[in-house]
Amino acid sequence: MGAMSTRLKIGWAVITVVVLVYALFPVSSILATSFKLPSELNSGTFLPQHWTWTNYNQILGPNGTARDLFVPALRNSIGISLIATAIAAVLATLAAYAIARLDFPGKRLILTTALGVSIFPVISIVTPLFNLWRNIGLYDTWLGLIIPYLSLTLPISIWTLAAFFRQIPWELEQAAQVDGATTWQAFRKAIVPLAAPGVFTTALIAFFIAWNDFVYGISLTSTSRARPVPAALAFFTGASQFEEPTGAISAAAVIVTIPVVILVLLFQRQIVSGLTQGAVKG
Amino acid sequence: MVRRRTKLSALLTALVVVAPLGACASGSGSGEPTLMWYTNPDNGGQAEIANRCTQQANGAYRLEVSVLPRDAASQREQLARRLAAKDSSIDLMSLDPPFIPELSEPGFLAPIPADVATKVSQNIVKGALAGATWKGKLVAVPFWANTQLLWYRKSVAQAAGLDPATSPVTWQQLMDAVKKTDKFLAVQGAKAESLTVWINALVESAGGHILENPEAPAEQLKLGLDTPAGRAAANIIGTIGRENLGGPALPTADENASLTIFQGDRGSFMVNWPFVWSAMNASVQAGSLSKSVLDDVGWALYPQVNAGEQTRPPYGGINLGVGAFSHHTDLAFQAAECIVSPANQSYYFETNGNPPANTLAYDDPAVTKAFPMANVIEQSLEQAAPRPQTPYYNEVSVGLQETWHPPSSVNPDTTPQTSTAFITDVLHGNALL
Amino acid sequence: MTTEAQRAPSTAVQAPAKPRKVPKSDRAKAEARLGWYLAGPAFVVMIAVTVYPIIQAFFDSLYRYRLTAPSDKAFVGLHNYQVVLSDSLFWQSLGVTLFITVVTVAVEVVLGFGLALVMHRAVKTLRGLLRTAILVPYGIITVVSAFAWFYMFDITSGFINHWFDWVPGISENLNWFAQQGTSLFVICASEIWKTTPFISLLLLAGLSQVPTELDEAAVVDGATWGQRLRRVTLPNMKAAIMVAVLFRALDAFRIFDNVFIMTNGANKTTVLSLLAYRTSIVRLEIGLGSAISVLLFLCVIGICWLFIKLFNVDLASQRGEG
Repeated sequence: MGAMSTRLKIGWAVITVVVLVYALFPVSSILATSFKLPSELNSGTFLPQHWTWTNYNQILGPNGTARDLFVPALRNSIGISLIATAIAAVLATLAAYAIARLDFPGKRLILTTALGVSIFPVISIVTPLFNLWRNIGLYDTWLGLIIPYLSLTLPISIWTLAAFFRQIPWELEQAAQVDGATTWQAFRKAIVPLAAPGVFTTALIAFFIAWNDFVYGISLTSTSRARPVPAALAFFTGASQFEEPTGAISAAAVIVTIPVVILVLLFQRQIVSGLTQGAVKG
Repeated sequence: MVRRRTKLSALLTALVVVAPLGACASGSGSGEPTLMWYTNPDNGGQAEIANRCTQQANGAYRLEVSVLPRDAASQREQLARRLAAKDSSIDLMSLDPPFIPELSEPGFLAPIPADVATKVSQNIVKGALAGATWKGKLVAVPFWANTQLLWYRKSVAQAAGLDPATSPVTWQQLMDAVKKTDKFLAVQGAKAESLTVWINALVESAGGHILENPEAPAEQLKLGLDTPAGRAAANIIGTIGRENLGGPALPTADENASLTIFQGDRGSFMVNWPFVWSAMNASVQAGSLSKSVLDDVGWALYPQVNAGEQTRPPYGGINLGVGAFSHHTDLAFQAAECIVSPANQSYYFETNGNPPANTLAYDDPAVTKAFPMANVIEQSLEQAAPRPQTPYYNEVSVGLQETWHPPSSVNPDTTPQTSTAFITDVLHGNALL
Repeated sequence: MTTEAQRAPSTAVQAPAKPRKVPKSDRAKAEARLGWYLAGPAFVVMIAVTVYPIIQAFFDSLYRYRLTAPSDKAFVGLHNYQVVLSDSLFWQSLGVTLFITVVTVAVEVVLGFGLALVMHRAVKTLRGLLRTAILVPYGIITVVSAFAWFYMFDITSGFINHWFDWVPGISENLNWFAQQGTSLFVICASEIWKTTPFISLLLLAGLSQVPTELDEAAVVDGATWGQRLRRVTLPNMKAAIMVAVLFRALDAFRIFDNVFIMTNGANKTTVLSLLAYRTSIVRLEIGLGSAISVLLFLCVIGICWLFIKLFNVDLASQRGEG
């Protein structure tokens, strides 16, 4: 590719700036709000007049009034999302392996079920689930959230991994066996390196979905034992029950966005590849 | 096959690791029973009182606090669902008064023993007693009682020729004053519980009631909105909305937004809870509000609807309920008695800005120092009228919010009838809310 | 493709269309068993968490049941459905939900297509930066996005009124959340901002699969960029576009988080999910709320069916193909 004309370069620069502004503007807005003094929150400006860590102290600091709400919620979110992601990855890998490699009756049924489950309105299943969880003691527990999260993450995980696995040349396994490796060695050396990126990408996508949940969080929990961060935002309070905790909510929102930004920065290539079913690679 | 077994065992291991995480319960296994007190969010006051009562109990029980969501409706949701499932871990609850009948009627609240009832009803302001009673019996222990005062900018009142501190003002006078001085009236016009508070105060002050027979079952509930009192209330709200006397923020103004308007250049008169006093002082200390504004603030009783007719200010606050399925109801009542002791109530007022329900607590000089308007608050509480006490309060309140919002759409000739018809339909199960 | 190849043997096995079932070979049986062992757990979890609750919801909808009046529980058959379907609030919510669905999907497809083109044609150096930027809205929690947009547009704490008061219609006194139109605008903006990246990636996948030879042939024939887009690119992407539209439509129809945080249904912005939530969980009317939940579920199924039957969207081949 030869040198781009100046006009083209400027054009691309403009496009890049526009895309960056589009993507990051609301994020920077809430970031700026999180640094405002509580009394300045109604000033109506974008940037704070006095930059302060007050809001972050409130939710993270040892004397913060919202600390007992936020820190356990953060712990719950991280723990529940990671565990749900891990289990979803394992189950989806097994299922996708079967779908991609084996021929068995009901394969179509499983794929259709996955599709069907992904379009279920969560609101419709929350109340019966609440009653059931109360009866068997899973209400307000980690497991009580992990199981519904699986129903959110499994469908897309299965579809994504099945697509990935279909692209793996399974003959390599047989070729390795011909070369003298055992079944297990053949699998480990030939297949796993090819399958691992797909599993990893699927885990990333599943984590984003679990991290994002709100309705299950507000309906199936009631104390800081299991309440995740999006649901905990409803509990934040200012100095009295009437004060709008804009600052605390903004700070919490920023903290909970940091892992997302880090993951996206590090793994954008994998995520794009996964979401486009492998059509778009690096 | 090796592959399958390894993967299956990995899966099983994961599940085995996860299950105990879900099953592990909180709470100590030591001797003294732990009482769980579910509280509304505050500035740490209830947690501190819990500590004090634990110490005072001397080993009889441990009182621990667990926080509920921020707004009263969400608190009710949580508690109602868990009590309906016969949750035994709920020992004590901080309840918003309008929702007490709904929890008491199906037997979710443990009945208060007669001796406890006598003890905790002594020296309680009338408004708080009314708010803790259902069908003639005391069903909750009065803790603290909230009421709205009329706050005003002395400079503006002077310019308008009013002196609320010496003679009672009416809503009409306030509206005229605001028009004359080109300021904004700081009222809560948001589509929220605060709107019901406002409507109730207006209807009650005009001598009427939102529900004529609050203790009746849903099919027989009769609303009292289509009356002179209801029409007077609609007139006030509609005029403020239509003539833009509350400013552009009126349709979404909650208690906090009202305070912001009051503190600004167009601030004049505000009806709000006493938390605004602590908030303004804190702002002055933080440097974001000038002392001159704070010095310009005066307070008086809630405005009257009809001149000369005693005003009935809003009543709010918290009363304590004991869960009917708790394993330690007797200990819970002991703890409740400790929580509502006058000393604790004064402490709570001083530090969290929530006025006591017990009149003795107002005698504490520290209280008057922190809140110079303490005696006005006490008087306001004696005259206060609770919101309609019915197990269907949620339907009534939300129904009012649906039909009396935005304020500019409220019309004294039509709104009382349409809201009555709508709420009656909802109560009969024939309409969605 | 591999799917075709794998389908062929199964049909070959069952091809002898005799009335008697052809006995499967041992190998086929072992494979079937293994397949179900591996995929079974996932299948069971998905079914258990969704099928049981929806059946329970259907049963609950046949009763008059208020959580705080358990002694009043009574069987009322389809009465709840009659109440819901004859109530103007239900139809209004349905209307608002459809409006939000159509508007957001339409804007997102156009915007997403633009983003997809940008990512497709971007210079290698810019590609990483652009994709990272675009993925940030995708990964952000919806509730965070709702709060961010809410605080930006709020009349007391936001700055939008100050920044854009030169636009006719916007002034210091515009309360975005006091009218239906402006409230819906902010809700749709937040929804569009957050989910356009996902659509743009689906479209990017479709774009990448358009055979380049067709495009090159069109260039040779002298077609302009616009003509190439209309005659070559879009027709070949039709299937990908339809799949993207279907998935987004299903998601938009179930919108909840944004509306709950920003307006909680005020000013006629109630959507179906919010109505179901409010009836079941806030009002504690389990029977009525379950009826709304079931109707919502049927609506979603209906949209899916509509797309598949009318527009011939073939999900299996699209999502299955690598």
